[in-house]
Amino acid sequence: MSPEMMPGMSAAPDPSLLLLSLYMALGMFGVLIMLTLVAIITLPIFFGVLFGSEFILSRLQNSGLFAIKMTVLMLRSLRRNLLRTSLTYVALFVFTGVLTLIFSMIDFLGKVTADKETDVKVIMTEKFQIPSQMPPKYREELKAIFETDLPKELRPRAFTAAERAKRGLDPVNYQPGTPEEWKQALLDHYMIWGFVGGSTDEKNKTLDNSLFLFALEPHSLLTMMDGLAIDDMTAKEHQELKEAIRLMQEDKRNIILGQDRLKLLKKQVGDEFRIYGSNYLEIVFDFKIVGAFPDGRYNASSVMRFDYLQAKLDEYERQKKQAHPLSGRCMNLVWARLPNKQAYERLAGIVNEPGKFSSPAVKLETASAGIGSFLDAFKDIFWALKFILMPSLALIMALVVSITMTIAIRERATEMAVLKVLGFKPNSAFLMVMGEGLLIGALGGGLCTWLLYGVMSNGVKFPIAFFSTFYPPWQIIVYGPLLGMTAAFVGTFMPAWSARGIKASNVFAQVA
Amino acid sequence: MAIVEVRELYKSFSRGKESIEVLMDLNLDVSQGEFVALMGPSGSGKTTLLNLIAGLDSPTSGSIIVGDQEISSMSESELARWRTRNVGFVFQFYNLLPVLRAFENVELPLLLLPMSTKERRTQVENALELVGLADRSRHRPGQLSGGQCQRVGIARAIVTDPTIVVADEPTGALDSKSADDALNLLELLRSELSKTIIMVTHDPHAAQRAQRIVKLEKGRIANGGAPSASAPYMPNVIVG
Repeated sequence: MSPEMMPGMSAAPDPSLLLLSLYMALGMFGVLIMLTLVAIITLPIFFGVLFGSEFILSRLQNSGLFAIKMTVLMLRSLRRNLLRTSLTYVALFVFTGVLTLIFSMIDFLGKVTADKETDVKVIMTEKFQIPSQMPPKYREELKAIFETDLPKELRPRAFTAAERAKRGLDPVNYQPGTPEEWKQALLDHYMIWGFVGGSTDEKNKTLDNSLFLFALEPHSLLTMMDGLAIDDMTAKEHQELKEAIRLMQEDKRNIILGQDRLKLLKKQVGDEFRIYGSNYLEIVFDFKIVGAFPDGRYNASSVMRFDYLQAKLDEYERQKKQAHPLSGRCMNLVWARLPNKQAYERLAGIVNEPGKFSSPAVKLETASAGIGSFLDAFKDIFWALKFILMPSLALIMALVVSITMTIAIRERATEMAVLKVLGFKPNSAFLMVMGEGLLIGALGGGLCTWLLYGVMSNGVKFPIAFFSTFYPPWQIIVYGPLLGMTAAFVGTFMPAWSARGIKASNVFAQVA
Repeated sequence: MAIVEVRELYKSFSRGKESIEVLMDLNLDVSQGEFVALMGPSGSGKTTLLNLIAGLDSPTSGSIIVGDQEISSMSESELARWRTRNVGFVFQFYNLLPVLRAFENVELPLLLLPMSTKERRTQVENALELVGLADRSRHRPGQLSGGQCQRVGIARAIVTDPTIVVADEPTGALDSKSADDALNLLELLRSELSKTIIMVTHDPHAAQRAQRIVKLEKGRIANGGAPSASAPYMPNVIVG
């Protein structure tokens, strides 16, 4: 999860919908170009499969099966004009690719905004103000509510030894039912975030010298952040991350950066540098980079210690003899993981009780609902993606297929007429043309989605909008060929229908 | 006995609001095993008549009986089924499917008939043998000469042992040697296999090879509408 999508985010600029639309349109154009290039590169595979199938089927056609003979005829017909077949393939490949990407994105967003029944992550933010800014004392107050107001069965519980091992966490010793266990439970399931923005250059602030950091408690990186479990990276990467977290805990100034941030700042692990606060004005942070996040979803993220932020605010107060304007509002988010939805509903009710968290008032929502609320701002874009872009693309690609198939039918009108003279029924001509389209559709759609699935599932990051990485659902393996075939069906229907209606006597009258 | 009986045949085409009468009150009988040439100037209606007899088109009025079947009232699907078994068509430009080998081109009409692979192969091999192209069965049309393509076309026309063979300018695209070969083959089909052949041609030399020449003028038969007495009967030998 990147900072740009967080409720209560304060430092990142809020792009206008127009700019975002432009960005997405350009992104989509880039995707179209990329998919076209990939489609062209995969042409040898496409023709390999086509010719291979023809080779095998032509050896099987002695079985006498009419369907096999007709399929061989279709495959051979596709071979007669390689340029036209290639064009149809590329069109269907690109069409399927774009739709698959949009489907994957929407599916992904659907998953992140879907409510869970167990292990429910909740976010506490300021109720009436964006960005959310809460006093740090709320951290302890919420913890206290967990202990005093929530029944035991609804409280977070510490990870078991097996769960710790699965997440790659170091073992801890505590006796069940003791205060140590409860302390460990809070360490495992509780996290605060403060947002700190700044620049390495005090006067000339640019995108390249700016840095946005989550101020948090380092231990929560491995227990609360998604995508940082041992299964999400190599053992070496996990070990290095744990070491970096240990170093963060040793010294307040130590920070961890994402790979892209490191490159942008032209820094490396071990470098020390100074940041001039942009939201925390007149506060200067001295940082030392002690580690980098593994390549992936945290490439653009940076983390620092929350107590370093507090220390700096205290230092400001000592020096200036007055509190920093943000010192009482330096906590932007509180995260907690609850055992189930019932616990969330109970806690939300308590948090909303009069007298609790009243200045400022806060709200508690599930992470999925929080993301959903944030995505509400983009709902017009998603609507346009689903109901304008996807149908438009479908129409364009169906037209391309239709035009190429119509040209093919016009060229082969005599051939179709001959088949009819020989006794082939009008429906046979229809099925033959339709079959050719469906063959290209199945192969184009299949190759595209299988390739996309293979590439994206094997760690190649594919950033879309504010999500730096997402993985496609396995269903696209099946949907891809079906999608290609559907587009081919729509595009081929009219040409196939016209092939069905070819009148042999008219064709030969024109030939003569 | 006439295998083809055409009675009071009319055929007109519409061009906008205008109706063009192509065939008018046409009567024609063709005997079993007869080789008939249809001649006439362009626009006289000979190809239209051939198409009607072959079941490629339906008349405006009148009747066409081939064998014992009235084809003028058949639907498109019924005609398609009827053509498979009863008509062999030889085209001026061969019209072989370029993506298929000679064997597969000849085999095409047999795919629509209920027969075993073995029977089908035997039938195709016999047809190719008859036209002298048994050794070219694996060649594609692009690898054959015009004359050879036409012979493959003739093999395809006879492979289903049809009731009639219709040929539309079968020598029109051939040199004189190949044209002679094609005509010899058609004559052979008539004499050896007792095939009924109706051929449209502009070429008087080709027409001379037929037993009877039917001349059409402005949609009517100018002369030769009755069958010749000499049409012999020969049993079919290609299909056992």
